[in-house]
Amino acid sequence: MTGYFIRRFLLIIPTFLGITLAVFVVMHFVPGGPVERQIMRYKMAAAMGEGGAGGGVSRGVEIPAEAIEEMKRYYGFDKPVHIRYALWLWNVLHLDLGRSYIYQDPVWDVIKSRFPISIFLGLTGFVLSYLVCVPLGVWKAVKHGSKFDFLSSFVVFLGYSVPGWALGTALLVLFGGGSFLSIFPLGGFRPDNWQYLGFFQKITAQIHYMFLPVLCYMIAEFATLTILTKNSLMENLGQDYVRTAFAKGLNEQRVIFVHALRNSLIPIATGLGHVISLILAGAFLIEKVFNIDGMGYLGYTSILQRDYPVALGILVISSLLLLIGNILSDIVYVIVDPRIRFK
Amino acid sequence: MKEDVLPPIEETAGAGALAPPLPPKRSVSIFRKRVRKFKTLKRGYYSFVILLVAYAISFILPVLINNKPLIVHYHGKYYFPMVTYYPASEFGQNAFGEPNYRELKREFASRSDGDWVLMPIYPYSATESLLDLPGSPPHPPSRGHIFGTDDRARDVFVRLAYGFNVSLTFALLVLAISYVVGVFVGAMLGYFGGKLDILGQRAIEIWSSLPFLYTIIIVSSIIIPIYIPGRNLVAQPSFWLLIAILTIFDWMGITYYVRGEFYREKAKDYVGAAIAMGVSEPAIMFKHILPNALTPVVSFAPFGVVANIEALVALDFLGFGLPAPTPSWGELISQGTNYLTDWWLVFFPLAAVFVTLLLIVFIGEAVREAFDPKEYSRLR
Repeated sequence: MTGYFIRRFLLIIPTFLGITLAVFVVMHFVPGGPVERQIMRYKMAAAMGEGGAGGGVSRGVEIPAEAIEEMKRYYGFDKPVHIRYALWLWNVLHLDLGRSYIYQDPVWDVIKSRFPISIFLGLTGFVLSYLVCVPLGVWKAVKHGSKFDFLSSFVVFLGYSVPGWALGTALLVLFGGGSFLSIFPLGGFRPDNWQYLGFFQKITAQIHYMFLPVLCYMIAEFATLTILTKNSLMENLGQDYVRTAFAKGLNEQRVIFVHALRNSLIPIATGLGHVISLILAGAFLIEKVFNIDGMGYLGYTSILQRDYPVALGILVISSLLLLIGNILSDIVYVIVDPRIRFK
Repeated sequence: MKEDVLPPIEETAGAGALAPPLPPKRSVSIFRKRVRKFKTLKRGYYSFVILLVAYAISFILPVLINNKPLIVHYHGKYYFPMVTYYPASEFGQNAFGEPNYRELKREFASRSDGDWVLMPIYPYSATESLLDLPGSPPHPPSRGHIFGTDDRARDVFVRLAYGFNVSLTFALLVLAISYVVGVFVGAMLGYFGGKLDILGQRAIEIWSSLPFLYTIIIVSSIIIPIYIPGRNLVAQPSFWLLIAILTIFDWMGITYYVRGEFYREKAKDYVGAAIAMGVSEPAIMFKHILPNALTPVVSFAPFGVVANIEALVALDFLGFGLPAPTPSWGELISQGTNYLTDWWLVFFPLAAVFVTLLLIVFIGEAVREAFDPKEYSRLR
């Protein structure tokens, strides 16, 4: 089994190379890169300087060839793509993700500053959805076919049918002070006067700001997790060992909550391994809706601004986390279910 | 598989003394049985009917919702502006270009000399900016525009209705293409096994480790790189290009299941019989095994459509979706986030997404129940 996991970890290497090579090549073979953007910026500045807003941007101004060469050298575009990839990879192996074109800071510093925000949002949403969905799923399984089961299914279907971020826009309109109620702030992670707040004020302010985003985050998880719990428990309640437990004369509470529930939590526990990738993946739509300056939102803006080093850096980090998350969930699976043997 | 047990053909023999002899019955295929079962699941079945009817209607939307009339009767002659272009001068108007038929209708009505214009039920088009409305766009819902207008004064209801067709068509096309690719690859891996299987699985694993939406945004942002400073609208690939991009990242999901089915099925007797009879490999794979391996394909399809619609809405919302004038739900929601006081730009598109996806989820639930039933038993 150890051998299996060692092999899994080694497989990260080719997978990682494949992912980054694919994205690197695509990103660098297309026009509109940093050099073109700089040229355009100069031309625009020159045109503005000449005659205000008059005149087209594209004609008239010529940039000397040496200047363009200089720019290419600055961004590393004077070398062929395979050498650039090799250089980039060499630097990544030395934990150097390059320098952001926009912020002029090392990519790692730019990304690092967003980590706490994304982790805070992701972890809160993750923990809260487990705290809500697992008991709800259990309750639905126990009361299968009842009125409660039927009514809560409506919420589950809502979760299935509306993406969390889209619901977020509706919540903002409803509670963000647009046309109806003004209960929650329009977005952002923390209030501007954060550092002047006292401890308890900080807590309330944080809850105030995070309530809607975390709610959206939970909606995304809600449907799948609740139904997974319910089906898993239902399946176990039909098993022979449950019959045996009942035949022994154990009471229903004990059979359900001690015997069946433990087994039915196995598939749910495996999801725990994905916690590190969930923190970053998929949250960027929610971060965009609520203007939260997290990692996902950084990735989105870096693509918009063609800040390749940052976009690539985020891809590197999130795909690494995804790969490690997959392995982690397998490890958790082995830990909670001794019957599982990976070869 | 439970369904493999067919009813004995001469079922009536024993009970013949009591019941009147039945006409010889054809044995019912598994697929037929499942369809019958699906029809008994009312919620899913009616959702299916509603969605099918709505989708069919959405193809004749130009006749129902349009700013061009069905028929114009002018000076004793009939005109069909939906089919042919007529300049405004054709109808005695002193203007260039195509006439505004809504005004023409009013004009004819006020003259009452036998000329008339027959407009569609909802006389606005999806790409038309209604600049003659009082006030500045977006306009709130009113009697003429039941869902209001968007920031370019286009009618929201019209754009939602056309957007329904666009979204569903898009989702179905992506699903169809990625299932064809996915089933083919899965079939190859499952049937041939061995080195091909190992290599293929590794390659698929690499490909599916890419963060889905993030990568799609990177790819679609660089296909047509137009950067407009200060605007969120950046790069918008064409309809087919977007379908291709989504398909490239979407086909792996089904391969796992098809591979598994093929792996199981190829060990069965009927495959052995086919091999013994000298049936060619492609025929065994796609004529003999494939029909028996379609359960996951069918039962996952509705949820695939849901995922594709959600992906399209998200891409449109981010500005990496369909090209600009295409009516789209996600684009309306993104406008709504810019104009938070204009609630109709968020609520109505969201309701459209919700109702559509809910219908498909109901269908999916019933399909799964019919094709892949799970019996739960409880002792108490």
